[in-house]
Parts: sequence; C-alpha cells; structure tokens
Amino acid sequence: MTVETGTPATIVDTIQHEIPGIKVTKQGERRLRIDVARDSLPALLELLKGRLGFIHLSAISCVDWPETDEFELVYHVWSYERKTLASAHITIPRNPGRFVSVYDIHTPAGFYERDIHEMFGVVFVGAPNLRPFILTSWGGPPPMLKSFNTREYVNQTYEWVDYQPDWLKDVEAKGGGVEK
Amino acid sequence: MRPENYRPVSHPPSHEYELYFGPNHPGIEGNYAIRVRLKGDEVQEAIADGGYLHRGFEKIMEERLWIQNVALVPRICVPDPVPMEECYSRAVEQLGGLEVPARAQWIRVMMLEMSRICAHLFTFGGNAATIGFYTNMFWGVSMRDLFLDLFEEITGARIYHMYITPGGVRRDLPEGLLDRLAALLDDLESRLPDFEDLFFSNTVVINRATGTGTISAEEALAWGVTGPNLRASGLPFDVRRDDPYLVYPELEFEVPTMKDGDALARMMVRKAEVLESIKILRQVIARLPHIEGPVRCPLPNPLAWNIPAGDTFARVESSKGELGFFVVSTGGAKPWRVHVRGPSQMHAVQVLERLLARGRLEDIAQIMFSLDACPPEVDR
Repeated sequence: MTVETGTPATIVDTIQHEIPGIKVTKQGERRLRIDVARDSLPALLELLKGRLGFIHLSAISCVDWPETDEFELVYHVWSYERKTLASAHITIPRNPGRFVSVYDIHTPAGFYERDIHEMFGVVFVGAPNLRPFILTSWGGPPPMLKSFNTREYVNQTYEWVDYQPDWLKDVEAKGGGVEK
Repeated sequence: MRPENYRPVSHPPSHEYELYFGPNHPGIEGNYAIRVRLKGDEVQEAIADGGYLHRGFEKIMEERLWIQNVALVPRICVPDPVPMEECYSRAVEQLGGLEVPARAQWIRVMMLEMSRICAHLFTFGGNAATIGFYTNMFWGVSMRDLFLDLFEEITGARIYHMYITPGGVRRDLPEGLLDRLAALLDDLESRLPDFEDLFFSNTVVINRATGTGTISAEEALAWGVTGPNLRASGLPFDVRRDDPYLVYPELEFEVPTMKDGDALARMMVRKAEVLESIKILRQVIARLPHIEGPVRCPLPNPLAWNIPAGDTFARVESSKGELGFFVVSTGGAKPWRVHVRGPSQMHAVQVLERLLARGRLEDIAQIMFSLDACPPEVDR
C-alpha cells in the first residue's frame, strides 16, 4: 500500500478532487470533519483507507435526530501516518433506518454496526452479525432512541415500593432523607 | 449464561461439545461469558456473550446535567477509571472552549499514570492467576492498594474518584502528597525485581505464554487492536504520542514494543509500561511544585450550564488502548448524545473470538487476560 505524504491540505485536496460536492472542514490540528452524501460514504472510506492511510476505524457513532426524522452516522477513521482523525458524517432516513455495512472495508465495523442495530434499530445491509449482544433478554424498542423514555418505561413496567427502613427514619428525624 | 439464553441441544454423534465459559468463572475478567464449541480440547468456535454489566450509561448521560455526568463516567471501567474522567472532561472542554490551567494539566497526567500503573498491576495478577501463580496476584493487588491509598488521600475515593472535572480538577493536592508518591514509586521499583524473578523470567510462564494467542501486525491493524496489545505486535502507536493531550509533549517517555504479538509479548509490554509510567510520574513530581496557579478554570453555575452546540471526539490512551468519547451538544444543559468507544469493544469481542478459535481450552483464560479486556467497557 502506498501512502501519499503531505500536509492535511493535500488530504482535503485529494478528497475534494475525487468526490465532488463533499465538504471537508479542518477542526483543530489533527481533526477533519467530512460531510458527505450517504451514497458516497463507502467510496470515501475506501479512498481514505487505500490512498490516504486512514486504516484505523476508531468508531461509528449514531445520533438520533427526531426533529428531522434522521439518524446521523459518524465514521471516525484515524491515520497512524498522518496523525489525523477524520470524522465522516452522513444522515440516513429514520424510518426505516437502513444503511450499507462497511465491514468489508473495516473489520471493526462489525461490532459498531451490531451495537447501533441493537441500540437504535438501524439495519446494516451486508453486516456479518446483527444478533443481539447486550440486550439478549430485551423485548422493547431500541432503547437509545430519543422516543424511548426510560422513566415512563419504568413507571409502566414496575411498581414503586415504599422504602422506609429504620435508618432512613432516623435520618429523616434529623432533617435529611431521600429526594422524592 | 442467563437461563433464558440457555438452549439445551441434542447433539448428533460427534466429538464436538459446547461449553459455557462464564459469566461466573475464575478465568473470566469481570462478568462476561464465552460460548465455546470444542473438539477434544481444541476450540472450534468461540462466541462472546456480553451484556451482564450493561447499565445504560450512554442513555443515562443524556438525562443528566453536564457536571452530573462526572460522577457516572469513571464507573464505565472499574480497573482503570481515570481515563474515562479525562476523556469526558476533555470532550466537554473542547465543546465549551474551556482552558485547563497548567497545574491541573500536570495533576491530571499524574492521576492518569497512577491509574495506568494500578491497572497494569491488576492485570499482572490476573495474568499470573490464569497460569496458576497466585502469589503474583496477591503482590500485584497489594501494591495497587498502596496507590489506592494515595487516590483516597487526593480525591476522597479509592476507585471512582470523580476528581477530573471539565475545566480542571476538583481540588489541589494535599500537603506532602508528592513526597509520599515518590516514596511509593521507590517502593514499587524496589519490588519489581521480585515480580521479575517470580513471574516474568519464570520458565513455566515463558513456555506457557509464548505463542499463545498470537496476533500479527497486519491482523492487529485490520482488527482495530489498540494500546499495549497493538504495541506487543511491534507497532509503536500510542495516543499520548500520536494525538497528544495535556502536557504529554513536555514529558520524556518511551513507547515500548515487542515483536511476537503473543500473550508473553503483551505482558512484557505492560511490564515495560509500568517503568515508563514511573518515569513520567517522577518528572511530574519534579515539575509540579514549580507550577503555581489555580487547578480549575472559572465555571458557570453548574446547575444552569449550557454547552455550545457542536460535536467532538476526544481520545485518551487508557491502560487498555484507545479510549474515545464522541459527545454531541445541542446547546442545552445536558448532552444530546455521548458515545463511548472503549478499547475492549474490539479486544473482548471480535479479536477475542478470532484468537480463541485458534486456541485450546486451557488457553481461553490466558488469552482473555493477556488482552486485558474490560467487560464493563464493552457493555457500558
């Protein structure tokens, strides 16, 4: 694999030359923000990995934006040679949340896509494993969605029990207590 | 294995069988399980089963004020909590444009390196126990306890310090703390030859750990391995050096590497890192008394503290590898989204499954401990 050396300016030039319409913003010394159309994301990751040395997929983050009815997916890739982190932001429609898997480009994507599928319900087409991992005994909606209200769920599912042990009574007699 | 996940299966005539390894097993780190398919003692397939420590931190953090989350983040990784505090605080500082005073930066480095030593001592113990050396475990844990005493003195807490906050640290160091830290470092250094004799140069350990759970450099890069596990495969990458933060650029330290990428190499890298952390701490002890000033920048009323809208990805080198926090703010009093990227999310799932599939039953515990996987970091 050959890696083009140079300042971050050449990274920006290369990306903008290869993928027209892309927006690259330099944020700090070692940070690049890339806003890209979702269809161009796999090509962008291939370009970053193959030609610019961004071989380490640090994470994929998902953000729920109910107001625009979209999910934002952020792919953070790090280049060990250039010492730069590029975060590629895309948005996908929220209903249904579907996007293509990038597992064939970055192996670590397998875990992150599985996690996002579990927590947000996004389906990654072509992902090797979307089986439940953390929430194996969970039957409810994906819990990281903004529409999932934890307090409401607890109120509906469990019964509140009055907790009045002796030690608490002593504390309350002195003016303290548990916040209700 | 949770009862609802247990599926009794009737096996066709075969030499294969399934074994549920964990979540309550001395060879498992934290509460974690691995479902292993074996043929004799050769592992055919291993499937990681997490979630036993899932507490929904990312969801809870969306419901808490920016300052309240300081109390939550260290709990994400029990053996090495300080990098969590640092990473979250730095993400908030980046979003809020806060400048950390110089003295606080040095104190934070001190806390981070003390935590790294603690985590590595803990891992030495765990690693040793998987090969049957319990004395080393007791030594490692008792040495770590002396560091916890200092943490208690500085922060009031032994494990979850909640000491690093956005903008600096909670309070300055107690009188004479640096002298006591210097004495403890001397003590630790004087005991390391005993660790060496008993464990690291022990033929049984070397024979047992050599070639176990080997990761080549190419595999390490492709699988997203970071931290000491990556350096054990010969790649000298360290967030402290490559993406520096705090005052690390002013400090002299080496990034130790090994070539073989096996369980032994991973132990040796950690051993060398303890020495480097001692070196860093001694530089902090020498410099800190000459750095005057506040330990926290002025903060607004924490109950009415809005962080400007934006997003940021903060990274820290924890004792396990690359730790990252992706934090999104919409300009409100609470984070809109906090995504925690723990190094063990790679090491304890995809990497572990792949390595175990090449190993034997007796290697499972050793491989898991040699990766220093931290299940609470996976589950969050």
